Amino acid sequence: MSDRRLGACTVALALALAFAPSVVAQDDARKIVEEAQRRTGSKSQRYEGLLEVLDSNGKIADKRWLFTRLGSHGQSKAVLRFVAPAEVKGVALLIVNHPDRASDQWMWTPALQRERRIALQDRSTRFFGTDFSFEDLEERDVNQYNYRLLGEEVIDGAACWRIESTPSEKKISQYTKSDVWIRKDTYALAQVESYIKTAVVRRLKYGNFAQQQGIWTGRRLEMSDLRRKSRTILTLEKLEYNVPLKDPDFTLQALRNPV
Amino acid sequence: MKPLLVLLLFAVPAGAQQFTYRGFAEVQSTAYVQASPQDDRVQTEALFRLEPAYRALDWLTLSGSIDARIDSAEQVEREWRIDVRDRGLLRPAFSVRHAHATLRKGTLAVDLGKQFVRWGKADILNPTDRFAPRDFLEVTDGEFLAVIGARGQYERGGQSLDVVWVPTLTPSRTPLLGHRWAPVPPETFGPAGFVDLGATFPRRSQYGARWNVVGPGFEASVSYFDGFNHLPQYTATPLSSSPLIALQRTYAPLRMAGLDGAVPFRWFTVKGEAAVLFTTSSEADDVVLYIVQLERQSGELSVVAGYAGEIVTANRSLFEFAPDRGLTRAFLGRVGYTMGPTSDVSFEAAVRQNLDGVWLKGQYSNAIGAHWRATFAGAVIGGDERDFIGQYNRNSHVLATLRYSF
Repeated sequence: MSDRRLGACTVALALALAFAPSVVAQDDARKIVEEAQRRTGSKSQRYEGLLEVLDSNGKIADKRWLFTRLGSHGQSKAVLRFVAPAEVKGVALLIVNHPDRASDQWMWTPALQRERRIALQDRSTRFFGTDFSFEDLEERDVNQYNYRLLGEEVIDGAACWRIESTPSEKKISQYTKSDVWIRKDTYALAQVESYIKTAVVRRLKYGNFAQQQGIWTGRRLEMSDLRRKSRTILTLEKLEYNVPLKDPDFTLQALRNPV
Repeated sequence: MKPLLVLLLFAVPAGAQQFTYRGFAEVQSTAYVQASPQDDRVQTEALFRLEPAYRALDWLTLSGSIDARIDSAEQVEREWRIDVRDRGLLRPAFSVRHAHATLRKGTLAVDLGKQFVRWGKADILNPTDRFAPRDFLEVTDGEFLAVIGARGQYERGGQSLDVVWVPTLTPSRTPLLGHRWAPVPPETFGPAGFVDLGATFPRRSQYGARWNVVGPGFEASVSYFDGFNHLPQYTATPLSSSPLIALQRTYAPLRMAGLDGAVPFRWFTVKGEAAVLFTTSSEADDVVLYIVQLERQSGELSVVAGYAGEIVTANRSLFEFAPDRGLTRAFLGRVGYTMGPTSDVSFEAAVRQNLDGVWLKGQYSNAIGAHWRATFAGAVIGGDERDFIGQYNRNSHVLATLRYSF
């Protein structure tokens, strides 16, 4: 073998060694997220959510919503309807998720007797005084992001994969990227940190894990807005999967119905 | 028949039945900066509203709202009756604000009864919103009134068709003549004054249709309306038997072709709405009303700013009360800021392009606990007496509202 050919082979080998872990990491990361999505798939979901909004000084407000979802991940529709406090009772949000792009969202306000489409550029707004933005209420789909395995870390005593997810071209997001921690034992989401540029702006921690109809679910979600130093704790009550729900209950017409 | 209906409603699985309600009790005091000969400078109104809803069957929902109110300005009736039609000059003391049944089959929904019908996409002024009369007793804070009729809505994918039939006219409630918010001062009618002959309501029904399309990067509607203007024209006739002027309210026939749309761009959403209005009345104008607005929500700040315009295609009107036209040829805006989970502040403005009328309003609202909310607001109105907004220049005011929601 000539020196020249030997040199070329050495460079090729070096390149292969340099890129191989990255490709493997991408493949592994996507497979982990796919498996997590597969395990949390259900025909429908319903729960009553108790929201406790806290600022740096303590609790400010409690809110309650009734959440129903038909379908799963990028093929789902969801309606979120406030049931308390009294002054926001009846306010409702319809979310139509898409597998490859951002969701469509409409909000119904009974006092105005009209629905309003939430524009894409407005999705970074906090949802009704909570620390969830409109975008945080979307259901993510594996195809909306590109993934990279960053390593393994322990969250609340559970071994997790740490995976970086960056929005794909079609997915318009307020976030530059999100780091997602997925538990190795159950493939349940343990934590999500969302970045704008290089700063973490929101952290979502899952807790109180339990199996519900075979699906491992964190029943306590704590969303922290790190810029405002406030947080919202969402507790999932009366959680059920695969409840009989109908498609016509997830339309703009149905959104206007108070019950 | 009635017992059979009751049996039918209750003879369903308990899971299908859901009952819910919401409501509030509210006291609002308004203090005007300037005195008015006929009115107190401080006026107070108390309102109780209950809104029950009952899903009797999977396909049938009954919902309604009842109001009970009293005030110090005597703009509320002092009669023990329950009003349904909302045709009186005064606000009823007890009223069925809305009450309707919603029947659903798949993506077809039919609403029967007294209901709110809101069309259009703009936030400040809706030229296509023709089934939406308002209570204009205080012109700048008009609450919507429901109409009695039938409405069918069919939704498929991103498209929806809305068909409305209203057999009788519900008029907008106009300011009381001779009082603070009257469109004309009483001296206009001479030293003897006027006698109110009431209203002549049209007998024909009204109908309309609206087709809405939601696309990935836009939303648009076309609409058609054939009915009557819910805002009155006044006919003034001298009485032969006395020096008084007889005043009568009539409602001009109206047809409308409307268009509205919304397109989100990177930095803001553009919303537009236009209505071409024709009438066969010899005393009303043909006009084109339109609005273009930009909207942006960023963090806790929401901004809406736009321009409302009017093109008069046939000028025939002598004397009408038309707040929808009065807010055109004007720059309109609203800025809202959510200060926290319990409090927010907002500013609204309408400024006529010739600066003959200016209306500015600021509001601060704060929730106290889970049920109470206090709201403080102030409005400044200025301008020329001949301008629609400017004519209310003596009505700048501050108001405080305390509401208990349940």
